[in-house]
Amino acid sequence: MQEKLSFKKGYRGRTIFRIVNVVFLIFVMILMIVPILKILSDSLDTAGTYGLNIIPKNPSFLAYKTIFTTTALYRPFLISIYTTVVGTAIALLLTTFGAYVLIQKDMPGRKFFVWMIFFTMIFNGGLVPTYLLIRNIKLINTLWAVILPLALNVYNMVLMKNFFEQIPESLFEAAEIDGCSPMRIFWTIVLPLSKPALASIGLFFAVEYWNHFFNFVMYITDTSKYNFQIKLRELVLDSQNLAPGAEAIYGRTIQYAAVLVSMLPPMIVYPFCQKYFVQGVTMGAVKE
Amino acid sequence: MFAKTQRNNLTQGTAVVPKKKDLVRRIIQYKYFYLMFLPVFIFTIVFNYIPMAGIRFAFYKYNPFAPPKFIGWENFKTLLVNPKFIAAFKNTITLSIVNLVLGMLVSIIFALLLNELYNKYFKSFVQTVLYLPHFISWVVTASIFYLILSPTDGFINQILGFFGIEPIYFMIEEKWWTPIYYFINRWKETGWGTIIYLAALSGINPELYEAAVIDGAGRLKQTWYVTIPGIMSTILVVFILNLAKVMNIFESVFVLQNPMVLNVSEVIRTYNYKVGLLQSDYGYSTAVGLFNSVISMVLVIIADKASQKIKGSGIL
Repeated sequence: MQEKLSFKKGYRGRTIFRIVNVVFLIFVMILMIVPILKILSDSLDTAGTYGLNIIPKNPSFLAYKTIFTTTALYRPFLISIYTTVVGTAIALLLTTFGAYVLIQKDMPGRKFFVWMIFFTMIFNGGLVPTYLLIRNIKLINTLWAVILPLALNVYNMVLMKNFFEQIPESLFEAAEIDGCSPMRIFWTIVLPLSKPALASIGLFFAVEYWNHFFNFVMYITDTSKYNFQIKLRELVLDSQNLAPGAEAIYGRTIQYAAVLVSMLPPMIVYPFCQKYFVQGVTMGAVKE
Repeated sequence: MFAKTQRNNLTQGTAVVPKKKDLVRRIIQYKYFYLMFLPVFIFTIVFNYIPMAGIRFAFYKYNPFAPPKFIGWENFKTLLVNPKFIAAFKNTITLSIVNLVLGMLVSIIFALLLNELYNKYFKSFVQTVLYLPHFISWVVTASIFYLILSPTDGFINQILGFFGIEPIYFMIEEKWWTPIYYFINRWKETGWGTIIYLAALSGINPELYEAAVIDGAGRLKQTWYVTIPGIMSTILVVFILNLAKVMNIFESVFVLQNPMVLNVSEVIRTYNYKVGLLQSDYGYSTAVGLFNSVISMVLVIIADKASQKIKGSGIL
């Protein structure tokens, strides 16, 4: 399909379209990136003018220094890292265990388990009963209230199951004949063979945990247990600056810098695992 | 898998093994798997099924100083005539549906445009940039746009000021909030939405295009008669999948709304949060949640049936 750009008769319309298309897409990319660039530039701007410039006037890392030296600001950052690491580990364990069990075709009761898990996708108790449950099992104001409910994700479990199903069954049979126990097969064959799946689904969970805020809104009232997203809400949105002249405690530059800091981890990780994400999204959704 | 060898051994014997014994044997054989499933089982019961039992609260009246009183369908009667609930219901449907239709249109157009790029590196670069905002959380997205649209020192109002236009209060004026809401959603999810269509596009048989060229179809005609029909089933599937999620609209609204624009931005789930957790009206708000869950459930089941018709497999 590769054609050369040419203005010969018959190719003209095509060529013009291709040039316009590229120009348009570049324009859209700029539109996407400008808000982020503007935030970046203003976070480095100590002049505090926040004008029309994209290049900061007096660049300095003062705001970032403030974030990483003020306990009230870096503590949420550490909480975010903690919930992400612990949550992703628990979530992956649950997801792989569940998926491994669900591919056992001859297992008595498997159908019931499948049905039981799928039904949670269709119907749930809702916000208040869930809140009351967390309250009754004494998880209010603990980070477990944030971590545990997110750890079981049916959709991700189904993705994992689809990955596991691609492992040739002869491998299992061979291992079985060699006298491997199911657990051993799981640790020595299934997991090593599904590294891409573990990476991609692990990243789904990690991004989910890093970006999560609502469980904090619901279950956490102790401000020392806030994660970075909630802190950011406090910094930017709660002092919404709806009225002119209203200034947040830390000033604008810190707000800009905080936005950048909270975006950073997903941004760094994302380009490396783009193909896994894409694979995850398209799996099972496109007609073969 | 594990049962196979075992069962072969069983049937090689002379006597026929009774079924019941076989089942017990298989259960014993799979004991490790039951053990592995235990954590998943416990999580599901605790975090999904116990709250489901909590929907009985919808039929009680709670007040702080007395035990809960059973009142039957009273809460539902209250909510169906509550103007706030009706407004929230309308907003849920409006914001969701418009967002869904806009989202699909824009994503399909971009998928088609990306599909016309021949330089592989440029194409993947554009894709990377377009996917980027999807990974930015809603809180951060809201923060970015609140800062940029700020009437005092926001970038957009600076530009308007340059042309001598008075600052616009984008986030607190109802007529601005809704279009801004749609725009932010597009900014965040357009690229991500193209993935599935691009996958469908790459699956179209190239011979169809060759045949179309031989029949004298130009690029536009090829798009119209080959490309669009080729991704039509994907479009339909995405549409019904999203339709099943219409009632779930929450996070994006929650972070972008503020007291000034409640009329256009209050959706059922944000309303539910306010009456449930901020006003502690547990009975009534459980009823609101249940109402939402039931509609969601019906939509998911309809979507599943439709999906079975279109692609031969359900969504579940």
